[in-house]
Amino acid sequence: MMRYRKKYLALILVLLLALAACVEQPAENNTGAAEEETQAEPTEAPEPTEEPAEEPTEEPAEEPEEEPTEEPTEEPEEEPTEESEEESMAEEGPILIGGIHPLTGALAGDGVQMDNAIQMAINELNEAGGVLDGRQFEYLSADSTGSAEVGQTEAERLIEEGAAALICCFQSNVTSNVAAIAEREGVPLVIDVAVADSILDQGYEYTFRLQPNATAMGVRGVEFLQEIAEATGTEINTIAYLFEGTTGYGDSVRQAFVTRAEELGYEIVDEVSYDPFNVADLTTEMTRINALAPDILAVTGYYNDGLLAARNAEEVGLDVQAVYGVAQGTYDVPQFVEDAGDLAQCFYDSNYHWDASNPEALEVRERFAEEYGEEMRTAAVLSYQAMQIIAAAIEEAGSAEPAAIRDAISGITYEEHILPYEGPIEFDETGENVVASPVVMQVQDGAIYQVWPQELAEREPIMPCVSWQQ
Amino acid sequence: MTVTALLKVHRRKLLFVLAALLLIVWFLVNAANIGPWWERNGVVLRQAMVTGLLIGGVYGLVALGLTLIFGVLDIINFAHGALLTVGMYITFVLFNRYGVDPYLAILVTVPVLFVIGAVVQRLIIHPARNAPTHNQLLLTLGLALFIENLLLVIFTGTPRSIRLAYGRGPTDLGLFTMDFPLRLAGTTITMTKLAAFLFALLLTGLLFLLLQRTDLGKSIRAAAEDKEGARLVGIDIDRINLITFGLGSACVGAAAALVLPFLAVDPTIGNTFNITAFVIVVLGGMGSVPGALLGGLVVGLTQELGVVFLPSSTKLIGVFIVFILALMFRPQGLLGRRT
Amino acid sequence: MRIRRLPLHRDYLVLALVTVVLFVAPLFMSRFLISLAVLVLYWAHLGNAWNLMAGYAGQFSFGHAVFYGIGAYTSTVLLVDYAVSPWLGMVAGAVLAALFGLVMGYLLFRFGIRGHFFALGTFAIAEMVRLFATELEFINTSVGIHVPLVGGDSWLRMQFEESVINYYYVILALFVIGLVVVIAVSRSRMGYYFQAIREDEEAAAALGVDVLRYKTLAVMLSGALTAVGGSFFAQYFLFIDPTLAFGVSVSVQILLRPIVGGVGTVWGPLVGALLLTPLAEATRAFVRTPPAFLGVIQGRAGVDVMIFGAILIIVVLFLPHGLVGAGHSLWERVRGAEATR
Repeated sequence: MMRYRKKYLALILVLLLALAACVEQPAENNTGAAEEETQAEPTEAPEPTEEPAEEPTEEPAEEPEEEPTEEPTEEPEEEPTEESEEESMAEEGPILIGGIHPLTGALAGDGVQMDNAIQMAINELNEAGGVLDGRQFEYLSADSTGSAEVGQTEAERLIEEGAAALICCFQSNVTSNVAAIAEREGVPLVIDVAVADSILDQGYEYTFRLQPNATAMGVRGVEFLQEIAEATGTEINTIAYLFEGTTGYGDSVRQAFVTRAEELGYEIVDEVSYDPFNVADLTTEMTRINALAPDILAVTGYYNDGLLAARNAEEVGLDVQAVYGVAQGTYDVPQFVEDAGDLAQCFYDSNYHWDASNPEALEVRERFAEEYGEEMRTAAVLSYQAMQIIAAAIEEAGSAEPAAIRDAISGITYEEHILPYEGPIEFDETGENVVASPVVMQVQDGAIYQVWPQELAEREPIMPCVSWQQ
Repeated sequence: MTVTALLKVHRRKLLFVLAALLLIVWFLVNAANIGPWWERNGVVLRQAMVTGLLIGGVYGLVALGLTLIFGVLDIINFAHGALLTVGMYITFVLFNRYGVDPYLAILVTVPVLFVIGAVVQRLIIHPARNAPTHNQLLLTLGLALFIENLLLVIFTGTPRSIRLAYGRGPTDLGLFTMDFPLRLAGTTITMTKLAAFLFALLLTGLLFLLLQRTDLGKSIRAAAEDKEGARLVGIDIDRINLITFGLGSACVGAAAALVLPFLAVDPTIGNTFNITAFVIVVLGGMGSVPGALLGGLVVGLTQELGVVFLPSSTKLIGVFIVFILALMFRPQGLLGRRT
Repeated sequence: MRIRRLPLHRDYLVLALVTVVLFVAPLFMSRFLISLAVLVLYWAHLGNAWNLMAGYAGQFSFGHAVFYGIGAYTSTVLLVDYAVSPWLGMVAGAVLAALFGLVMGYLLFRFGIRGHFFALGTFAIAEMVRLFATELEFINTSVGIHVPLVGGDSWLRMQFEESVINYYYVILALFVIGLVVVIAVSRSRMGYYFQAIREDEEAAAALGVDVLRYKTLAVMLSGALTAVGGSFFAQYFLFIDPTLAFGVSVSVQILLRPIVGGVGTVWGPLVGALLLTPLAEATRAFVRTPPAFLGVIQGRAGVDVMIFGAILIIVVLFLPHGLVGAGHSLWERVRGAEATR
């Protein structure tokens, strides 16, 4: 018996050790990271060294004195002390902003760009002198690996490391989880990209979405299509829909589109779905659609499958008035024109986008291309914008405390944005961006132009138009 | 069993399967011919069969590599798709940087992938040859993770694709001119897919000859059938394992170059072919070269016919149903032998 | 041989100790660590369920996501559409998964599918169900289902907004129950039959073991336990869609930990989970703030998973019988040295 007991005692010991390691290890990493940060700063920039010296003497001295004397009746006594404690804690270092995106896995292409865009926004903000009279930002980057559970633990980590606000996630399912964490922990979350309506159906108070949701994408998509058809004098009666049917993104946009299209009197002749992660060919699907001779082919999906669809449509000689992407991740990307060449001509995409008629947007994209050697995609522009809005909110709130930032974002009226929205960005009760709307783009002569709505149009839309029928 | 006898058995089975396929097709065509259904779907059905065959050839080539490894080393190689991705990136770089035609790039990808496969076998698979099978599965999974993310680090996640300067419109083929894409009874056949299919057939044939006619091939087949027996007659099993893994990887090297002209590459693209390859291997019979080809065609056809009869994101459902039926009723595979 | 006569097996004693340790542990943990610990236990539970079927009965499953997804969807659909408490939903999910296991196990085993083929068969079934789920209207197709928030804490709804630590205790309880089941089974007649089947099916059949019946039983039990984990997932992450529920990556994740920890050992899944989950986190942390001489890799997407993959390979290569197996043989060697002295 002794042997066994010994053996299992040893096992328990190992288990305990492992547990202890598990408890200590990440904590060590955290403190290690924090140490490195504080050490790294003085060497990099002289400003932060001055700051901590000044602030602790000024602010903690001022605030506790001011507030109780000025408003002793209005505010409960606890709050000022709490606030001043938190603020003095927070104001010692830079303001931490967390970002969670899929930096590995199938969606890494966009995820890494989004991550870089936030870093770029932060660098620019810091160079311009930071916020709140010189406080700097620091970016905490996290990889969701495209999975909900990693996204969630990473969100916990970022908040624990002191993130004052989060920007995330690109995927709807990851966003749903991170939003729940943000709500629980009371840290504002600005969703740069994630399309599912249901994320904000939960009554979250700390979550805001910059991008148009699935309903807006689908509904506005079909309405724009109708307007374009009217403006160009094209007769459209029937629509076929090709969408990715695996991740939920394609299906949610399709549902909104189809519902609205039927209200507007269009006939949906076919709805064909495919698995975007398991597709090597769409020729048969295209033939099936072609056999029904629709006036319009509407497409929702990711970059690779969208490119495949375009190529196969051309090969089959799809007989339609136009191919119309709805929140499609391909036809508004400059790379599409490179990859597809001549056949890219005429492809429409009604999608969230940067405002191509805004020179500042073009400058941002130029800087990004210089810095990272890649064309900045729309998703990254939204991440950049999300960071700008958080910075503006902090300035407005006069504080980098999460709750204060949240209140400022919810009341913000942000005019200097570089997105194709009519009017300033504001968030409604549920956290949706009230002006969020897609914009219709079309490939014309080897470049992508905004063609609708008219106020934002760089060129006139062309319809009917399909490159292989010219 | 001698080679000829083996072939004879195979031939009978092959004929049986082909006859069954023809019967199904005949039935579909005739049963449907009367109704209005045919009016609408006839061309879709024809296209499904054409695409299914073309893409099935490529599936077969990918599965061929897997079936060799499976048959000889008895390993479910999850890194197979990742190696395909490696091949696609090599082809991409050759085309993009040095302007090498992808069909010529086969001459590079095949030896490079052979070497990579051999190195992988020696460093990772070989040391675990006596470990439980699930360990080998985990090893290949870890390897797939490693390769995928190495490619991500090098090439980023942005999808890369190439565009051939030829293959669209009238193409002079020396003896005659062909107008691509070909139109055949309403169906579309593109040059890229036709080339992929023909090359896949050619390479499968070559590999078949290699296995049937050369001493090396005979040793490989012997090792696949009975490792101990092969060892007894003086075959160096370690060497055979090494070469087989190399050959299996070389197959995806060739497939990679064939696929890139019509499919963009990103670090995870290999998974697209991984799943079908497993199905094909089991369907065709482990270690069977003609089985892999036939399995590829069956899977390609089933999958594409799914587009005609099913809502199509489920088009793989048909494949899995066929797969499970095959597991139940022909566990040795369509062309495999009962053990 | 003496061991078997003990009323309380030593594994139970160890379990009691481990439970106490795990019960107290979160008191010393931050929220991030707790969320990590929840994941550790959650994967340990799933690995445990998988281990029962693959480790003890020798039926290597590569499609455990199917049970997992059935559990997740059953409790969620019952909750959202019929307002049934997720606790009941969890039980219902387990029952449904067991039924599914019965049909699936019977079908596959009846036709003599085993080894690699069984693994691939389970894989195909899981993929089929996933594809099917993306088309099913009543589970909202590929769009997925949100678990509605009740706000605040509710044991009835298994939702804890204020005291997140309760999630930890819920999964701890589930894990302990699962482990008790595994230990009990492994000590029972059924467990011996399982192991006999694993070692040599023909021999077991020759000795009168109803192989088909016991193999199917193993699938059912394992499936039910896995479904419980799936229900917990849905409640904890508040969202479920076909890829999250039935995806290939779920099946892979489930079997990763027990294999690294030690297949067919009681503690393998927990040890594996204790190693792998923090390891993934640690590699991420490493790439975020690498040592100075490796500055190049900082923030390079993919490096962390590369390292993870490499470590996985190394662990499997050098510890072919898992951590527990390695610990065991190390102990044997130490004991051998003592004996000779």
